[in-house]
Amino acid sequence: MKLYFQLFLQFFHVGVFSFGGGYATLPFLYDISEKFHWYSAKQLTDMLAISSITPGPVGVNVATFAGFATSGILGALVATCSIILPSYIIVTIVSKVLDKFKTNRCVKGAVRGIKPAGAALLSAVGIRLIFTSNLHLLGTMLLLALVVLNIVKKRDPLITLGISAVVGLVLGYFNWIGV
Amino acid sequence: MEKTFYSIFKTFFKVGTLLLGGGYVILPLLTSELVDKKQWITSDELCEYYALGASLPGIIAANVAIFTGRKLLGTKGAIAATVGMVMPAFLAIVLLASILSEIIEKPSIQHIFWGVGIGVITLLFLAVKEMWTKAVTDKFSVIVYSVCLILALSKKVPLALIIIGALIFGILFQKYEDKRNGFNNSKTEEKV
Repeated sequence: MKLYFQLFLQFFHVGVFSFGGGYATLPFLYDISEKFHWYSAKQLTDMLAISSITPGPVGVNVATFAGFATSGILGALVATCSIILPSYIIVTIVSKVLDKFKTNRCVKGAVRGIKPAGAALLSAVGIRLIFTSNLHLLGTMLLLALVVLNIVKKRDPLITLGISAVVGLVLGYFNWIGV
Repeated sequence: MEKTFYSIFKTFFKVGTLLLGGGYVILPLLTSELVDKKQWITSDELCEYYALGASLPGIIAANVAIFTGRKLLGTKGAIAATVGMVMPAFLAIVLLASILSEIIEKPSIQHIFWGVGIGVITLLFLAVKEMWTKAVTDKFSVIVYSVCLILALSKKVPLALIIIGALIFGILFQKYEDKRNGFNNSKTEEKV
C-alpha cells in the first residue's frame, strides 16, 4: 500500500511540474530513478527508445513502464493515472476561466519564466546523459553525425532511431563497442 | 458524427494508437480526425487548445485531449478523450514489459539498445533546441535558462523548486516590465 502511495505521489509530482511536453517529463523521471531505484537510468533510456516505436505519449509510456516494473499491472495503473491526474485538474480549472487565463499578465509572466526553465532542465539531462552513457569514440561520432543529419534537414524521429539501431547492431557484431 | 462517450473514446483511442515517435505528430493527427473527418471542432479551436495545452504542465497530448473532450461533451467527454488517448500507450507497454525482460539480455538486442540510446540523446537535444527557440528569446529568458541549468546540474536543488522559482521570477519580471511600459490593464486583470 505504501508503495502505491509513493508511486502516486512521485508521478503526480511529475505531472504537476513538467512543462513543455514530451521530453519535459524526463528530468523528473531521471530524478525518480536516482531516488527510488524503481528503474535504472539505463532502463529509462531503453524505455525512451521503446516508447518511440510504441503508441502514445512518452510520459505515459514511461509512467506505465515504471509502475509495471515496480509492482505489476496495478502499479502501472496507479503510475499512469497519477501522471495524468494533474493535467485533468488543471485543464478543468483553466477551461472554466479560459478568457481571463489568456489575457492574465501573471499567467503570461509565469509562462515566460517556466519555458526557459523547462528547456534548462532538459538540457541538464542531456548533458548528464552524455557523460554517464558509455559512448566511447564511436558513440560520440555517431551522436555528432546524427545531430548534423538532423540539423541539415529535420527528419522523422524514427529514421534517427532506425539509423542508430542499425549502427549499434553492426558495431556490436564486430565487438567494437564493449557492451 | 454524433458526440457520444463511445465515439469520443474511439476517436481518441485511434489518435493515441497512431501517436508514434514522441508526440510530434499529434497536431496533424488531431486535425485529420477531429477537424477534417468528424468536424467536431474548427482548426482554430484545435490550435488554441494545443497552444494552451503546451503552456500548462503535464503531457501535452493529454492536456489537448482533456480540453477537446470537455468542449465536446463536458466532463464525460473529457474522461472519454483522456482514457482513449492514454489507453493504447498503457496497453502497449504492459504487453511489451512482460516479454521485454526476456529478450533484453540477448547481446544483439543490447547492441541495438546501445545505438538507440545515442539516437535518443540526439532526439533529446533536438527537443532542447526546439524548446530553446520557442522559449529563449530575450535577455530575461537567457538569464532564467542559465541559472536553471546551473542549478539543475548542481543537483542541490529539487527540480520542482527550480520550476516554482522560475515561475515566481517570471511573474515578478512581467509586473516590473508592465510597470515600466505603463501597462494599465494589469491591475484589473490580475484579480483572477
